[in-house]
Amino acid sequence: MTPRSHGLALGIVVVALAALALGYHNAFVLNLVFVGLIYAVLGQSWNWISGYAGQISFGHALFFGCGAYASALFGVHHGSPWLALPAGALVAAALALAVGFPCFGLRGHYFSIATIAVAAIAEIAVNNIGALGKANGFEMPILAPSLASLQFDDKGQYVLMALVLFAIAQIGTITLERSRLGYYLRAIRANQEAAASVGVDARAAKLATFAAGAALAALAGSLYAQQTLYVGPEDTLALPISIAIALVGVVGGLSTVWGPALGALVYVALARYGGAVLGGQGHGLDLLLYGGLILVIVSWRPDGLAGIGGSIRRFVRRRSAETPA
Amino acid sequence: MDLGPLPQLVVSGILTGLLFALISVGLTLIFGVMDVVNFAHGEFLMLAMYLTFGLALVGLNPIFALPFVALAAFVLGAIVYRLLIRRLLDGPPSTVVFGTFGLLVFLQGAAQYFFTSDYRSVPNPPFQGTLHLGNVALGEAQLIAGLGALVMTALVFAFVEFTEPGRALRALSEDRVAAQLMGIDVQRMNALAFGLGTACVGAAGALLMLTYPAFPRVGTEFALTAFVVVALGGFGSVQGALLGAILVGLVEVLGGFYISPALKLIPVYALYLVVVLLRPQGLLGRR
Amino acid sequence: MNAAAPFLEVRGLSKRFGSLRALDGINLDVPHGGLTALIGPNGAGKTTAFNCISGALRPSEGSIRFEGHEIAGAPYHRVARLGVVRTYQVVQPFAEMTVLDAVTVGALLHHPRVSEARAFAGETIEALGLGSKRDTIARSLTIADKKRLELARALATEPQLLLLDEVMAGLTPTECAAAVELLRGLVAREITIVMVEHVMEVLMPLADHVVVLATGKIIFDGKPRDAVNDPAVIDAYLGRP
Ligand SMILES: Nc1ncnc2c1ncn2[C@@H]1O[C@H](COP(=O)(O)OP(=O)(O)OP(=O)(O)O)[C@@H](O)[C@H]1O
Ligand SMILES: [Mg+2]
Repeated sequence: MTPRSHGLALGIVVVALAALALGYHNAFVLNLVFVGLIYAVLGQSWNWISGYAGQISFGHALFFGCGAYASALFGVHHGSPWLALPAGALVAAALALAVGFPCFGLRGHYFSIATIAVAAIAEIAVNNIGALGKANGFEMPILAPSLASLQFDDKGQYVLMALVLFAIAQIGTITLERSRLGYYLRAIRANQEAAASVGVDARAAKLATFAAGAALAALAGSLYAQQTLYVGPEDTLALPISIAIALVGVVGGLSTVWGPALGALVYVALARYGGAVLGGQGHGLDLLLYGGLILVIVSWRPDGLAGIGGSIRRFVRRRSAETPA
Repeated sequence: MDLGPLPQLVVSGILTGLLFALISVGLTLIFGVMDVVNFAHGEFLMLAMYLTFGLALVGLNPIFALPFVALAAFVLGAIVYRLLIRRLLDGPPSTVVFGTFGLLVFLQGAAQYFFTSDYRSVPNPPFQGTLHLGNVALGEAQLIAGLGALVMTALVFAFVEFTEPGRALRALSEDRVAAQLMGIDVQRMNALAFGLGTACVGAAGALLMLTYPAFPRVGTEFALTAFVVVALGGFGSVQGALLGAILVGLVEVLGGFYISPALKLIPVYALYLVVVLLRPQGLLGRR
Repeated sequence: MNAAAPFLEVRGLSKRFGSLRALDGINLDVPHGGLTALIGPNGAGKTTAFNCISGALRPSEGSIRFEGHEIAGAPYHRVARLGVVRTYQVVQPFAEMTVLDAVTVGALLHHPRVSEARAFAGETIEALGLGSKRDTIARSLTIADKKRLELARALATEPQLLLLDEVMAGLTPTECAAAVELLRGLVAREITIVMVEHVMEVLMPLADHVVVLATGKIIFDGKPRDAVNDPAVIDAYLGRP
């Protein structure tokens, strides 16, 4: 797809969801849309480092948590939520640099397990530090709804905020694909040695990508916290969240603009909506279906759902080419 | 000189480490032979624990159930290889990672759906006595689980070192291309390795039921430790996995006592990070 | 350029792999401009020398100065940015990328704008006769085209010193002749070339300067016509098993 058609698709999605947010007041549905957008952004931020740069991370919840905790802390200490956004993003980016600098020397699984280790240490630490709320987390104070307080009485407003972030993530990815960094990342993924031989600084490219992705994930975390008004380690920092993010990234298709959004759609439809309809989470049927679907996708379409889209496009093009004019 | 609780902790740490070793050896065996990190390894452990629990309900002591559970796990592992893993090996490396993740989610969901999230312990558990050796007090069940793990690990080790199929497995993990040229049937050997690796967690699951309850997410706890152990020791190295397991067992028990039980995993993860940053191939791994 | 500093100056360069001395204290001067041929029997250490000079490997000992900069042990990408770029004997393409995209990666070194880099990469591809393959995925190229791609990617970085490791191996005589013309063109553009090649007939008429390496040591350094009569060189070539 060209940047123009990506832009067009993005425009259609944003307009459609904005219309839904403004016109359809079903809290349940809007909540699902919100969670879906948050996961689309998280999956995209993960896709930058693990898809485009090829460094598979299983600790991405750490950055989501940075944003969520920044919002929680600003909330309980009466700071502006608008300051929490950059604060969380900065902390997340700094953490990404601190983790990435030594760990990008590690290969493959050693890197992936290092990301698990770092995120797990952070989770355990938060569970034991009083100032960070320990295992109970934080209930954020409820403020008068307004743009300044970043709290709304209408779920649709949160969807609009998430849409803005989603658009930023998508435009960022479309730009990345066509940028110098995008070329460098693809070269590094293909052959890091050969990339270095023509002057590509692999570590710098990965660090920049990792830090940008971490900041984006933190913004998603902040927004998520503003909507739930509760932040705890279980639902922001824990390993299952990291895994959910990675699966969103892969189900839709690694290193593609629309993969994470598709993955988030499947995730929300099966794991969240399915869970709610099939009798609440913890019942297991939702996981069973979601896991089964991942198995089907991975063993029949290793390139994810976006790959199926590509096949369909090629098929249609072939058919229309065959049709005599 | 009074060592205080240290001897008790060291013995306990080693016994814990032996169970980790059995689980980790299974994981590293699979990796060594086919370069696959099986993220669903812990879910096989969980299934083995439920099977042991089921057999205990009809009156079978977990120790006697062990051979059946291990055999069942072997067969399950070989089948999963044939039906799923083999297909994934053709794709890019990330395919296998996410395929086994899908299996993890699927099996966990299935366990939750069919067995509920309740904790299940063996009714009337055997070996409830306590042994006193000097001032070290050991639960019989813990001791038997640890020693059982040692015996099983030794058996696996002996199989890989001294039998004909074991030699073929080692040849494959050293140089796949050369092994293929020598006429080794890679698909068969992969299935064998996957079955054997799964049999390890099968046996571990039976032993674990002596001291631990079964629940749908129990596997994740142990598998996470096993990943750290295997990476710490060096992916693919059986000796590395043994060394890593004992180290992690010790660090976990000592850390739990001297720092705080809630923080006991921090030293384990920190140990991993320090080791791989200094030696990116792990303690005994090849570059 | 600092006129006093020699272009490439290698002193006491050694590289050991365990107990094997792949390079054993070599000294080498490459003047600016022209083509230096680096020859020697298999396993002499030619590729290892390129690996050390280009920054792919850290030398065990010795100094490598390029235009006065010490580059021994410098990061690979930094050496490339200084203008020393190599090709690989065993091709290392960006397998999943198209020819144009792969060459663009090289062109981005001195053309930070993607559109300019793509245009420059397109010209480079055209000049190397790969124009019809610009949208082909690198993996599916023939070996000769992969070698050409390797060269295009290196050239797109606009190097000052180009280290070519057997770029002609496997080419047909016609392709070789075209490659020779291309190399003459590069030399005319003041790109300094050090070239490893086993095909002497091709190399000798091109080279201004010949360096012969055998078991990690330089055994000859001089004019091409003297090399063929040098007893040590003859011995190294004929004496090998
Ligand atoms: N990375 C390495 N590790 C161990 N030994 C190496 C390594 N690279 C090269 N060698 C050894 O160093 C010696 C020199 O190898 P090198 O590749 O430099 O030779 P060469 O002159 O390029 O030979 P050829 O003409 O076959 O390409 C050889 O004995 C080779 O086996
Ligand atoms: Mg060579």
